[in-house]
Amino acid sequence: MANVNSAAVQVNNYSFSYQRADGSLQPVLQNVSLELEPGAFCVVVGATGCGKSTFLLSLKPELAPSGVTSGSIAAGGTALMREGVRIAVSQEFSAQTIGFVLQDPAAQIVCDTVLQELAFGLENLGMPQNEMRRRVAEVAHFFGIEPWIHLSCEELSGGQKQIINLAAVLALRPQVLLLDEPTAQLDPYATRQFLNMLSQVNRELGITVVMATHKPEEVEPYVTARLELGETAEIVERDALQSELARRKCERENAFLDNPHAVGVHNLYVRYEREQPWVLRGVNLSIQQGTIHALVGGNGSGKTTLLRAVAGILKAQRGSVRKIQDCSQAYLPQDPKTLFVCDTVAEELAEWRTLYGYDKSDEEFWLSRFGLAEYAELHPYDLSGGQQQKLALAKLLLTGAELLLLDEPSKGLDADACAELVQLLQELVTEGKTVVLVSHDLAFVSVAADKVSMLFDSEIACTESTRDFFAHNVVYRPPVRSQLYGMLRQK
Amino acid sequence: MFSMLAMQPGYLALSLAGALMCLASVDGARTALRSLIWVLPLSVVLAFVNALAVTTGETVLCWLGNRPVTVEALCFGLCSGAMLSSVLLWFKSYTVCLDSNASLALFGKSLPTINLMISQTMRLFSQFIKRGKEIAAVQLATHKAVSGGTSFDVRSKAKSALRIVSVLMGWGMEDGLIRSASMRARGYGATKRHTTYVRYHLGTADKVVLGILMVLVGVNGVLLATGGGAFEFYPVLSGFAPWHNMVAYGALLIVPAALKAREAWVWRT
Repeated sequence: MANVNSAAVQVNNYSFSYQRADGSLQPVLQNVSLELEPGAFCVVVGATGCGKSTFLLSLKPELAPSGVTSGSIAAGGTALMREGVRIAVSQEFSAQTIGFVLQDPAAQIVCDTVLQELAFGLENLGMPQNEMRRRVAEVAHFFGIEPWIHLSCEELSGGQKQIINLAAVLALRPQVLLLDEPTAQLDPYATRQFLNMLSQVNRELGITVVMATHKPEEVEPYVTARLELGETAEIVERDALQSELARRKCERENAFLDNPHAVGVHNLYVRYEREQPWVLRGVNLSIQQGTIHALVGGNGSGKTTLLRAVAGILKAQRGSVRKIQDCSQAYLPQDPKTLFVCDTVAEELAEWRTLYGYDKSDEEFWLSRFGLAEYAELHPYDLSGGQQQKLALAKLLLTGAELLLLDEPSKGLDADACAELVQLLQELVTEGKTVVLVSHDLAFVSVAADKVSMLFDSEIACTESTRDFFAHNVVYRPPVRSQLYGMLRQK
Repeated sequence: MFSMLAMQPGYLALSLAGALMCLASVDGARTALRSLIWVLPLSVVLAFVNALAVTTGETVLCWLGNRPVTVEALCFGLCSGAMLSSVLLWFKSYTVCLDSNASLALFGKSLPTINLMISQTMRLFSQFIKRGKEIAAVQLATHKAVSGGTSFDVRSKAKSALRIVSVLMGWGMEDGLIRSASMRARGYGATKRHTTYVRYHLGTADKVVLGILMVLVGVNGVLLATGGGAFEFYPVLSGFAPWHNMVAYGALLIVPAALKAREAWVWRT
């Protein structure tokens, strides 16, 4: 067994339990062991709620959760815990040895401009100005972000913000880098860019990386070690599902062939301000009742804008959106937290009870269907990203709306939850509801959607059935291997 | 600075003019003119308030019930208004000239916590407003069949507005938790000493201007101490400061506008 000094991260039989208010223990991690040599890239996988975040937080002294612990931890060559007792480490040492990148790109940023953000950690440690300037210049050069230096952090996209967060942590030159689901909120393009940078950091700078994720297929090419904290879905090739999918698609196409149109968009022109260019220019779209219609396209192509125009949130400058008379609708925003107005999960679902006329048994049904029953008394913000997504969906489904408008419904969901969502949507449309969704996740779209519309250059480039759409694309296709396919095969 | 020290009409008039000129040269004539929109009413309002509140003074304009409205009181009010406006205009010029970087450099070393609070508040203010609008819009987007509709009386609107504010507070605090974790992870609070990244350079030209300013300030201080301070509003307007004080003060006030004018001359096409 390697001694503390040669292993970058060493965890021996680490267990962690939360202590509840009544004194009982809620175990989260049981006898986890891990040993990483310097320069390793370790991915921590497991379903939602299996303790990935807790494990990573335990490795960083300032962020370690409080509870009942046992076992020993060492990182960056120093012991952090021995036999369940935390060993005090100076904050300076910790900041310069162990770096941590959290999940939410925007909430992590402290300063106004990119330059200040990069210098933030260095300023905290009272580094002399020359040293500070040199390090900031180095890090900016490594990531190629010199053009962004004077931009305000608010102007950057989510992916760019996350890269700034990574750069700001690296300015401190840590030996170990911990990342808690850094790409969960990013679109596929930003994810690829971020992971590219991360692998460069790992290979060229020799920094040990420990990353938690619920989509291990994205980091497969870079990984050298793996820690499984619970059951994970099998990564399966798409071909295995091919025949099943094709059969279902045929069935579906025959089912909605003669359906009337639920939503009609005619010559829609939308822009946010008078001086800005058009976001949507002459968009024509019609969506049949009882179908799952997906809107796809690159970043900034106007997908969310179109969905919001259909929902009635945005007023179009020209053109119109027509919906079936007496149509009840529900809209899921990109950030599910926008929907939460109550203090507990149970209250949240009960909020619209009188307005929409459902009762407590319905709420309990959806709670258990989404696996949130045990979290009924928690505050919505205490749930993980995927659980919040499910809660928002449950709230909307309780309204019994005929038209569902969902913006990135599969964001933050692990493979199991995603497969559940696919099944759920299919059930809903067989009942006669219409679903319009915007998504970056092509695996999800290829499996769930009946029709796909692609947005490009502020217009709808094409609208085809899912089968035809993906058959002729070379680059814009769902991934060949995915955990989602594995889960669906099991169902 | 001198606007606050000397309650002299001459000084105040010059100060106000100087502040307007500075703002005009720094931010454009339009901003300066637009600021007059609130400067003038402010002075007038203060003048009237003072006139109604204070009744001493010799020259009486009119009678309001049994309270005399005197010219002196009006003048005092006008002067107070002018003082307040000129101070506010100077501060406005300050915010235009010095951005957050410069303020950080000035105060960062000594007051990092307060600096942090101010910079966070300014950043997050617009974010809050955007979020509030989003929450309100999303609540409206999910609705029953059109024929059903929802009633929108004033009380329910007010209730939903209050609710949105409480949601914003909760959300903001949640973000705050994440932000503080990110700060602690990068060593915030590790050492008492803070250094700043941005470097400001004091060149020879800067030193010359600084010298001139020092001289002018000194001259003005002396003049103020000897003859300028004893202005009496009540019972009669008297004690106007000698004219050379005005000249010295005017010279001090002209410096920012003069600097800008020189720059415009250098960069002329």
